This record gives sequence, C-alpha cells and structure tokens, in this order.
Amino acid sequence: MNARVWGFAWRSLARQPNRAVLGLLGIAAVGALLFDMLLLSRGLVVSFRELLDSAGFDVRVLASDSPVVTGPRIGGASTAVAALAALPEVDEVVPVRFGAARAAAPDGERLEVFLTGAPALTRRRPWVLLEGGDLDAPGPGARPLVINRNLARRLGLAPGKAVTLEGDCTREPRPAPPVRFEVAGIAAFPFDDPAALTAATTPALFERACGFEKEDAADILLVASREGGGSMAAVSAIRARRPDLHAFSNDEIVARFQQVGFSYFRQISAVLSSITLFFGFLLITVLLTVSVNQRFAEIAALRALGFTRRRVVLDVFAQAVLLVGLGGLLSLPLGWALSRWLERILHAMPEIPEGMHFFVFEGRALAVHGLLLALTAVLAAVYPMRLVARLPIAATLRSEVVS
Amino acid sequence: MAVLLSLVSLIHLVAGAAAPAPPASEPPAILVSRQLLAREGLALGDAVALSSSPSGAGARRFRIAGAYEPVPDPARLGAVPLEVRLHLPDLLALTADPADLLSTDSVQAINVALVSPDESGPFRRDLAARLPGLVVRDTAAGDDSNVTFVVLDRFHLAIAVVTVVASSIFLLALMVMLVDERRETVAVLRLIGLRRRRIFVQVMAEGLAIAAAGAVFGVLLAALLEGAFNRFFQWRYDTALVFVRVTPAIAAQAVATAVPLGLAASVAASWGLLRQGALALSRR
Repeated sequence: MNARVWGFAWRSLARQPNRAVLGLLGIAAVGALLFDMLLLSRGLVVSFRELLDSAGFDVRVLASDSPVVTGPRIGGASTAVAALAALPEVDEVVPVRFGAARAAAPDGERLEVFLTGAPALTRRRPWVLLEGGDLDAPGPGARPLVINRNLARRLGLAPGKAVTLEGDCTREPRPAPPVRFEVAGIAAFPFDDPAALTAATTPALFERACGFEKEDAADILLVASREGGGSMAAVSAIRARRPDLHAFSNDEIVARFQQVGFSYFRQISAVLSSITLFFGFLLITVLLTVSVNQRFAEIAALRALGFTRRRVVLDVFAQAVLLVGLGGLLSLPLGWALSRWLERILHAMPEIPEGMHFFVFEGRALAVHGLLLALTAVLAAVYPMRLVARLPIAATLRSEVVS
Repeated sequence: MAVLLSLVSLIHLVAGAAAPAPPASEPPAILVSRQLLAREGLALGDAVALSSSPSGAGARRFRIAGAYEPVPDPARLGAVPLEVRLHLPDLLALTADPADLLSTDSVQAINVALVSPDESGPFRRDLAARLPGLVVRDTAAGDDSNVTFVVLDRFHLAIAVVTVVASSIFLLALMVMLVDERRETVAVLRLIGLRRRRIFVQVMAEGLAIAAAGAVFGVLLAALLEGAFNRFFQWRYDTALVFVRVTPAIAAQAVATAVPLGLAASVAASWGLLRQGALALSRR
C-alpha cells in the first residue's frame, strides 16, 4: 500500500467529516474501554506481586494453607526460625505476629489499631521506615513502637512521643494491661489500606500488649532466599526440612491469588473486552458498508476509468485502518483518564492496600490493545471490501444513469 | 424469641488411617458441604475423623448425615467452601483447650431472632446496657461486605455510563448516515409542499420507533443472555450465586435511557438537513 492509497482513503473520509469524526469518536470510546479492561485484567495481580516483593521477602511460611488471619499459628516459632535460617538456601527468616489494640484519640474516640510484632534485630523489615528510628533505635528498657502515618496523624504522634495501647488480640473479653510505648519512627506498611491505623513492636512487647504468656508462636515466617539460589530452591529446602509447615514462594501466592482473589475482575474484563471489540467491529463495518453503498456509482466510475479491483478494495481497507488507527491512538489518553476515575471508584473498597491498584499499565496491555484493534479493523473491512470487489461496473453505471 | 448458638472454628479432616478406633456407640452426625463431599470423594453415611489440630492430634470420629449447599457468599467468591457443620457441643468438645476452662463454654456469636423485628433498636440498647463488653449488632446493618458491593455497584454504573456514551456516538453516526441517505427524499417532500415541522415530526417518529425497537430488542437479548451468564459464572466459581438478574426495574431504566437518547440522536442528526432549503437539498 503506497502513499497514494492512504491519501485517497484520507480524502474519502474527509469528504464526509461528520461521519468520520463520529466514527473516530466511537472507536476512541470503545478503544478506551478495551484499554481499561486490559489494564484491569492483570492490574491487581501485577500490583499484588509488587507489594509482595517490596519488603525483600520472597517466601512465606504458614502453619496451614489457610489465609494468615483464619489459619492456625506456628507453634515453637523460635525452633522453626532457627531450623529455616540454618538452611543454605535461606538468607534471613523473620517471624511476625498479628493482633489488634485500642488507643484513645484526643477527641476520646477509641481507635482500633492493627498491631504487628516483629524482631528488632533483622536486616529486613516487613515495613519501610519513613521517619525517625526503627525498633532497634532506642536504648535498652525502652518500649519502641513504629507507627504508620495515619496513626501518627490521628493521635498527633511523632518520634519520641509516648502512646498507650490496650491489646485486643483474642477478640474475647479477656483484659490485657495497657502498655505505654515510645514512638521510635514512622513507617509505611505495604499491605495497609488507605484508612489503616497500624503499629509494630518487638515480639516480646507484642505479647505483653496482647496479654499473652510466653507463647513462642508466629502467624507467619517471612523468608528471604539467598541471592542466586532463587525462591523455589528455598521453598523446596523448607518443605524438606519442615514438612509440617506450609511454604509458598511469591510466584505461588500470586498464582493462587489469580485463581481466587478478585478473579471476578478478570472475568468481567474478559466479558467487557469481548463486547467492546464486537461493538467496535459493528461500528466500523456499518460505517464502511453504508459509505461504500453510497459510493457505488463513484467506485464503478473509478473502475471504468482504470482503477484496478485491488486498488478500490485497498481504498476501503485503508479507510478502516485510518479510522481504527486514529481512534485507537485517541483511545489511549482517554482510556488512561478513564482508568484513573474507575481506580478511584474501586479503591473505596474496604481493606484494599493503598499500594494495590486495579488498573496497572503494562507494555503487554498496550501491545494486546493494538493487536485487537488491528484485528477488528481487518475483520470489519472484510464485508465492505467484498462488496467493492464484486461490484458490477456496467450495471452500476447504468443504474446510476437511469436513476 | 429463638436463640441459636454458633461457634465457627478451623478444623481439619484427618485421613482415615489416623482415625481412632470406632467407639461402641454411633459417632455423632455432621453435615458436609457439597464441595467438600465431592473433593474428598465422601458419601452419606461415611465415618470421618475431624481434628482441630493441623497434625491430626485429638481427632474424633463423626458420621456424615447429610450434605448441604453453603449459603452463597459474594464476599468469598472464588474460594471453595470446604465446610462441615457440627452440633455445638460436638464442636466445643473438639476445639476445647484443656488449659482454658472457658473454652468449653465460649462461643463467638449468638444469633438472636426477635419476635418483633421492629424492636431490634431497643433490644440492642437494652442488651448492651445489661452486658457491658458485648458487641450487639443488627444483622440488617451494613458491614464491610456491603461496602464492597456498593463500590462494585458504582463501578458497574461507571462502566454503563461509558458504554452509553459509546453507544450514543454509534447511534449518532448511524442516524447521520440514515439522514444523508434521506437527503433526496426530504428534498422531494419539501418540494411537494410538506412543511419543515411535518418532516421534523416524521423524523422524530422514526427515531422513536427505532430507539424503542432497539431498546426492547436489547432488553430481550439481556433476558436471553441472563441464563447463559449465570450458568457460566456459577460453573466457573462453583456457586449458587446469581450474577445477572434482569428485573422489570432495570429493563424500564434501560428503555428510559435508550429511547430519549435515540430521539436526541435522530433530532441532532437531522437538524442540519431540516434547516436547509428545498432547492439546496435537491442540489447534488
């Protein structure tokens, strides 16, 4: 297809600007929705993977294959940590406890705080320190606490200030003594939802705040595999050493999440992508078919003047490509803006971590978008191209003269 | 007033080999979810051992008295409900912690059905005052799962708005083409004396007919696809949830949106044509 074909197709479209503009806008709207559905189809999985990787741990060990919040705790945690840390495939093991606590806001409201217990002397932490010091910063005897920005804002706290927490880890009316902590630093917790009030302290202080006896338990063991070995090697080694525990690599967790967590969005994106593609196909087919029907006499005249069949067919094809190509380009910024709006709507769901996104841009989504639109352009042009290819020149011209 | 005690706990199905020797008396009856029955190849009347420990320690034998379809829970979509239902004393005995005397006499929740549901407010206040520390909640009150579905509802509405915008553009393009094709006809009508207003009414009537027919067809198509969508998603997620339901209210809403849009598109498309003179229209 040379420049003359494209120029002729462009002029054919420009002759009916209203129709062409509406066609472009229609394709842009359909393309924008398609683009968003492609971003949605993998958005949660991609951002979930990024969250899992963000703290530097690539293996999670649990007592069962149930989710952390509903599953049993790992008993004899210190023995398990020692056994796993001794494996040559493992670089570091961090036992973590999860619970809840209550704190009194300045206005008297009782705030529910998500409380985490993790050792102070590890190289990696399940949080990212933003301000102040970490749990190992204060001197001996202190009761360090790391809090997130929401909690700091809500209680008017800053590093160095004190706060009292009442443990509420068992969800039973079992009294836990209030514990006065000193805020060591402000941190970002990867899995926090936008409204979460989160705090972390050492395992000993966690147990004290929750009113637990010396339990030597952990809800989860976060494991970093040794560099070069890979997470699967660490998982295999852990399974061999402690078959009673359940080890999962980040890849396995993501694969499981893909099957269960929010798979509804993948399904709906598949359904809507199919519908939008069919819609785009219908729009282009109708536009081109009606346009060709109205131009039968003109096309027959062009054929009579010496235009080959291939040339007029290519003209229709080029029109389809121009409409879909320009509409597709327009759909990208439109789709991006639309995805921001839809993201804001969906992010209002409870317990969605702040760092998790429904619509995540990937080069692959852009490529699939282009490919699907190109396929739509080709399929939509088939019927009008067939009409043009089979146009009887003499009969059409005669019919035009008679009418 | 009927009171139902419930205790939800994580228990483990223990392999047959780990089961203790059967007692002389018949083991207590349990109900098993359809999904668990199918996954483990169990049958009614089978004896199974359940334990509250992942290691299978302290397992007790039970007899499967029946299978049940778990109440569909949209918040747990995708998670296969592998559940059993035990009599409360059996569950308390199975999950009891010897170190905690209260564990055989504790439940997580007590469901209360009131004789007069309208009195739930005073009942909640009264109970909270009598038993401080107890959380009393109306089952009709919203919780996080409700918020999730409110958000999903907003998301679907947003998608519907985008679809309507795209459809409107499509419709406008179609009407522009239709009007273009009618150019000569309109010119002839004007030349034989029909007034602009008369032709405008005709265009409106045509637009109304097309929009109404399209809307009715759309509703019929949705009703036809309703079963297919539901069957596919019910199969995909192994659930009895209903995903798509074309209600009269939704059908009316669709028609009420589509018909005015169709009318507006036909008027907008023919506006320019009707403003031209008869001679200008007949010029080729």
